[in-house]
Amino acid sequence: MQLKNRRNAALREIGTPLAAATCALLGQSAPGVVQAQELMPWDIDTSMLIYSESDGRVQDLSLNLWGRKELREDKFLGLTLAIDSLTGASPSGAMPANVVQTFTSPSGNSQYTVAPGEQALDTSFLDTRTALSASWEMPVARLGLLSVGANLSDEFDYTSTGVNARYARDFNNRNTTLSFGLALANDTVSPVGGSPIPFSPMLGLGDLRNKDGDQSKDVTDFLIGVSQVLNRHTIIQINYSLSQADGYLTDPYKLLSVVDPVTGNPVGGPPGSGRFGYLFESRPDTRDKQSVYALLKRNVGGDVLEVSYRYMTDDWDIDSHTIEARYRFNFGASRYLQPHVRFYQQSAANFYTTVLFAGAALPAYATADHRLGEFDGLTLGLKYGQETSRGSEWSARIEYYTQSGNASPGAAVGALANLDLYPDLNALIAQFSYKFGKR
Amino acid sequence: MAPQPAARPLLSRRGSGWLGVFQAMASPCEVHVGDADLATAERVVAIAAAEAHRIEAKFSRYRRGNIVDEINTAEGRPVVVDDETARLLDYAARLHELSDGKFDVTSGVLRRAWRFDGSDRVPTEEAVAALLPIVGWDKVRWSAPELTLPPGMEVDLGGIGKEYAVDSAAGLVRPVSARCLLNFGGDLLALGPQYGGAPWRVGIESVAEGGAVARHIDLTVGALATSGDSRRFLFKDGKRYGHVLDPRTGWPVVEAPRSVTVAAATCTEAGMLATLALLQGGAAEAFLEAQSVQFWALR
Repeated sequence: MQLKNRRNAALREIGTPLAAATCALLGQSAPGVVQAQELMPWDIDTSMLIYSESDGRVQDLSLNLWGRKELREDKFLGLTLAIDSLTGASPSGAMPANVVQTFTSPSGNSQYTVAPGEQALDTSFLDTRTALSASWEMPVARLGLLSVGANLSDEFDYTSTGVNARYARDFNNRNTTLSFGLALANDTVSPVGGSPIPFSPMLGLGDLRNKDGDQSKDVTDFLIGVSQVLNRHTIIQINYSLSQADGYLTDPYKLLSVVDPVTGNPVGGPPGSGRFGYLFESRPDTRDKQSVYALLKRNVGGDVLEVSYRYMTDDWDIDSHTIEARYRFNFGASRYLQPHVRFYQQSAANFYTTVLFAGAALPAYATADHRLGEFDGLTLGLKYGQETSRGSEWSARIEYYTQSGNASPGAAVGALANLDLYPDLNALIAQFSYKFGKR
Repeated sequence: MAPQPAARPLLSRRGSGWLGVFQAMASPCEVHVGDADLATAERVVAIAAAEAHRIEAKFSRYRRGNIVDEINTAEGRPVVVDDETARLLDYAARLHELSDGKFDVTSGVLRRAWRFDGSDRVPTEEAVAALLPIVGWDKVRWSAPELTLPPGMEVDLGGIGKEYAVDSAAGLVRPVSARCLLNFGGDLLALGPQYGGAPWRVGIESVAEGGAVARHIDLTVGALATSGDSRRFLFKDGKRYGHVLDPRTGWPVVEAPRSVTVAAATCTEAGMLATLALLQGGAAEAFLEAQSVQFWALR
């Protein structure tokens, strides 16, 4: 009992007399205030994204985890983890026909059929991608910031490794920031069943004579950018980037239909294959891209307007324009609603062709991949975000994407004239993000 | 430690603000000034450094000829002290009372037996017991402004001095700029935010080797003080002897956290709460819970 009393005495509340004594020591009339808040050891953001294309095409479930920690004063470690699960069907590049078409799967050991008039979709599309990246950020002198990073991503048939560095320096009372970035990546593709020899024909089941081993490419990206505070409400940013890819740039799963130049019907494939004529695509082994990006961000009476434009051009003759705008309506300090609109337009690659005609000489390169054709896309979206009382933030975003494109000139011969050679694509994107609070 | 001439503080640009560094009270001291021009920053740093050096000179037990030296060499004669010293002694007396004798400014002589140098040289029981007759504020006669110490006893205000210097310097700096953070060897006080409402980011070192930052605290206004030092201990026969001594027994308090950081309105209050918590040993966290203060204990 004695012991218990003594312990209670030790734990008595002495804060008030101590505060009074300290005030007397320091000659203060009243106690002051303290406002201190511990930060989370890690800043953590998480998000889940669902991307769903219409007509049972590509479906993606993507989980992202992003962490950042200050290890030493002003030095930060960043880590990201992304897991994507892809399912659904992907257009193979072959054109619809008025007859049933039979295709050999990329593995070479199964086949699938496509009904007359239907788009040729490869239904064996299934993959899980895991990507990891780490970055280290540190100040350099008083006005500079250097970050270096490495990344690794792996999926069933594709591995990518890369390193990157970025240096930013402030000038002009920190109103101007100049940045330079460099990224190097090496990708290896190990297609299911081997990588097809360019322009080789699709063969029958189990016949792998047209397949080769793994392929790889190197990509170098360089960026130079400037951001400028124009006034208290407006900031602009302009970037120029150069990207150079070297190596295997062909998509090993994409085909071209060989059709009769008059009737537009598929012609016969290799004898004994039981297939119509389909050739694996062939792309150049280098691609140089340049792009210019301009962003204007402006505070409009407490709301935020963001407008950007990007122009991209490459030596495959693809030119694209992207115009994007976001407007963030802030409701008080903790809630916002942000509509988003994006318009995209691109011209076709100079070797894009919807079909190959039987009897004509093969071009140097050819692809029927819709992504290298002429198309435009429109995205409309809405995002709502809210901060909780504990300082966490969550947001939900929903977007609708619609894309329509055109077949290459002169492709719609005979039967093809009545078929949809460039089907529209519609997709729905839903994302939920949560950022863990700091208190 | 010989007194050193006060070197001129070094001032450098730090983000949109300034950082002044100097050495005082055997510790590196920093003065961060937020949004301010060079002249303001220079004045703030000069005022803070001068005050730190003044308090060190006046109260350091390593200096000869100051008031503490006069008290400690009085050999039983009464010493009349000035107003500031009287306030510090009043404060020490109040802490002794509030802590049931665990906080004692006369306990410094125990250092003759205990040298916390990381070795295994734990003193004998006899050596410690021999010092106890000259330890204990209850043996002192204090009636402001007159202090009488029995011969052989000593007063050491080092346990209050650094935190007191932070608060005292803050009081002098406030009229010049409230956008500053004073950090005297890890005991710190923010007079106000850096700019706008921007808090100061403060790291608490981990107790592990290398001193990586274990926690980050955003301090907008108020003080943070830390007690405990993982590098001051003895280790013998698998037992760790921390440097916090119970003046009533002369032996280290057992099971104390290795470091306690407390947030309070003043640095002195924060520092005393942290010290009193360590003196509770295993009950340090429970003690701080009872005080309803923000604290971070590392074990």
